[in-house]
Amino acid sequence: MDTPSGGLVRSHCVGTTAVVYASDYLNKLTGEKIERECRRQLDGGCRALIIDFSETKLVNSIGISILLGIIDVAEKSGAYIVFSDVNNQTVELFEMLGLTRHVVLAKNVSEALLNISRYETTPVVH
Amino acid sequence: MVTRSSNENFRRVLGRVTQQDFVGRAGELERIMAHAEPANAGRGLLLLMEPSAGVSELLRQAYDQIFNLRSEVIPIYFAITRNESTAVSAAIEFLNTFVQQYIAYRRDEPVVSHAPLTLQDLLELAPPADFEWLEQLVESYNKLRFSNDDKALVRFCLGAPQRIPAGRGRPFVMVDGAQLAEYLNGVVVLGTEILRVFGRGGFSFVLAGLRRQILEAAHDAKCNFELLDLLRLERLNASEAALLVEHVARRQQVATSEAARDLLVQQFAGSPFFISIFLQAAREKRTSLMSYLDCERLYVDELFGGHIHRHFADLLEEISPRLDTRHLLIRLLWEAAAGEEQTSSFEVWRKRLRMTAAELEDVLHRLHVQEFVNWDESTVEAGTGPQAWKDYLKIRYRLDVLNEPRALVVADALADSLKRAPHTMARHYKQIANAGLRELISRFNCQRIPAVLFDYKAFSEKYKGAEPETIIAGLTAETEHLKLPQTVHLASCSSFDSDMRQICEEDHCLVAHTFEEGTYSDAQEVVWLAADIESKLEVDVDVARAWCDRFENLANNLGFTRCQIWLISNEGFSEEASKLLVRQKALSSSRQQLELLASRLGEAIPSPVVQTGDPNEFLVVVPMGEDNELIAASTAEQIARRLTFRPEAINQIKTAIVEACINASEHSFSPDRKIYQRFRVESDRLVITISSRGIVPANLNGANSGAEAAEERRGWGLKLIRTLMDEVEFERVDEGTSLRMTKYLRPGSS
Repeated sequence: MDTPSGGLVRSHCVGTTAVVYASDYLNKLTGEKIERECRRQLDGGCRALIIDFSETKLVNSIGISILLGIIDVAEKSGAYIVFSDVNNQTVELFEMLGLTRHVVLAKNVSEALLNISRYETTPVVH
Repeated sequence: MVTRSSNENFRRVLGRVTQQDFVGRAGELERIMAHAEPANAGRGLLLLMEPSAGVSELLRQAYDQIFNLRSEVIPIYFAITRNESTAVSAAIEFLNTFVQQYIAYRRDEPVVSHAPLTLQDLLELAPPADFEWLEQLVESYNKLRFSNDDKALVRFCLGAPQRIPAGRGRPFVMVDGAQLAEYLNGVVVLGTEILRVFGRGGFSFVLAGLRRQILEAAHDAKCNFELLDLLRLERLNASEAALLVEHVARRQQVATSEAARDLLVQQFAGSPFFISIFLQAAREKRTSLMSYLDCERLYVDELFGGHIHRHFADLLEEISPRLDTRHLLIRLLWEAAAGEEQTSSFEVWRKRLRMTAAELEDVLHRLHVQEFVNWDESTVEAGTGPQAWKDYLKIRYRLDVLNEPRALVVADALADSLKRAPHTMARHYKQIANAGLRELISRFNCQRIPAVLFDYKAFSEKYKGAEPETIIAGLTAETEHLKLPQTVHLASCSSFDSDMRQICEEDHCLVAHTFEEGTYSDAQEVVWLAADIESKLEVDVDVARAWCDRFENLANNLGFTRCQIWLISNEGFSEEASKLLVRQKALSSSRQQLELLASRLGEAIPSPVVQTGDPNEFLVVVPMGEDNELIAASTAEQIARRLTFRPEAINQIKTAIVEACINASEHSFSPDRKIYQRFRVESDRLVITISSRGIVPANLNGANSGAEAAEERRGWGLKLIRTLMDEVEFERVDEGTSLRMTKYLRPGSS
């Protein structure tokens, strides 16, 4: 079930994966809302995060810097993170600012969930 | 008493400008008008002027208002000028002015106030009801005139207003230029006599003079201070001064820009005197004042040979009439002002100027009255006075003492002024931007505030990213409160330790002396040490530690026993920095917390100013913040569609505009908090100019490399803009930023 939390960010959980939906404009305020929701989900025991950008039309550099912060938080928590349904223009921006080096992109939430399930079942080789 | 008349029949008598053009002294004018009311009969009002504050027009306007009211109050305005050489000649001139203005008022004929008339001529113009007493007045004067008793003559002339018979009106005498009265030749000190005679005359009066001089004169005259009111006349505030520039410029037909206007306001520190004579000079030289260069060129001309030069040259000549001594004085004043130690002893000055103690006392008294030095009998502090005085002094020193080539001194003066101009404005804008913190702390008065507003970590955990309504509701429900102390004194850190000036701007770092519970005891006394740290990211632990150490040192050096450190940063503090601040018992707030605190203390954020547009282009002006960059982006989208840009290109343009707007908002201490967007459509391109007023950011020189930018998580805006647009350049402007971006239309590929 979708849960609009305190910051009104739509999210839901699929097993231990949280799917968080970004709004149409990703800036400081909406970025912080996503960050807050991601932290809440991680604190609640989620092991993977999907941030879905299907509604996102415009992204600014502050929003991108907050996404980098979310990637950091996820890494520190040992959680896997995937961005789904990112439009071409936004992908172009993510590439310009090196975001794609730190995160996996998926076509949609289903593909992102598949990615995560593969990651979780991949044996760790020492 | 009504202070302003909108009556179309209002007649200008002595005012040099119309009522509408007289700006910036409404409160003072009201006080003077109120002083003329019957309730204040017999009372004196001392106008204590800051040098160059300008008072003549204020008194002339008061005169005109009273003249037009046609009440029982008869206005008399007298200005002591440098033309008067003795107290006797000045007193006789006063008598003449009094009779002339009395008759002008009684006949209700303003023109009589200006006509060159002798006392005999005036008697012939006297209304029949007044002829007898005026004739007696003139006869008595003629007898005294040849009596060789100067003091009696001076007192007679000054006392003329009290001879008005009952029922013929009540005089209201305004004397301007009282500072000049002290230095008139002869055995009578006119300033003292004016105060003695007026103080006992039973009529209301206003005496305007330099603040450091006039109170001393009142003491010397043994005035009854219970019958004296004081009105301090200081510089105009920035908005009043800006209005004055606009009015005077219009009157003098001098074209000015907003940037130039604001520079003049700051450069002349809101002095009506300097602003007026500067714009007069602009008219005389037929020069417009559109850029900083225009202003500084004229300023340097003025310093070398214009009105400003003459003003200071006259003052210096009065202070030190002998040329050789004057050169020594210029040398000493400049060397003391420019040196590290600006304070030296009376004895040092006496030896350097080769004067007797009495001579030096006279010189120092005059310098002190003009506020060119601070003199307290034993020590002399130089380096005071307005910027124009310091610049004038430096020029005179280099020309007269060092004998440097004039062309070199002119060139250096111009270059120095030009280099200083952006710094002057930057300081001003930063003061505006930080006025909130100063105002906020000054309002501390034992209010109970949610403690979370002073704890960034707790605030961030609870409210970061939450909707404003959620935050406000949360704050209302908070149970843990901090009781603010009562602030009794507030000053910048640099006022306590000048080294702090190297570290931060004056209003970024404050020291507040406070008392808990408003109880004035040692135990309740706490000194708050607050700093607003400039940072685009969360402040890290090293910066936070450096500030804590800095404040602890300051507290130790100044003997503050109980202190409360409060650090503020736009984006708050890192996890590690927050932990450190908790250990140090320091308070921490982000800009958002500060704004919430301000709203709780009833203090609004500084308001914006309205702007104009250019009719020949698409122009959009939006306030900074509130996602208003989207409005600009949306406008650009509409225009770009008309030019048949492809969707990808439109998106690139929109993103570039959003980034440019964010840059404009983040990088400038904008005075009007507005972003100006100009869209110019050409056949093969769209040119967009995004500009804002404020400080030119030091890092926006176009030289930042991609590698450097990628290292930081913020400051990517320009990199993105350069990548997304075809041409990007900063346009040369005196202040603020103006970024021009061009996107070419490429058929088939755009």
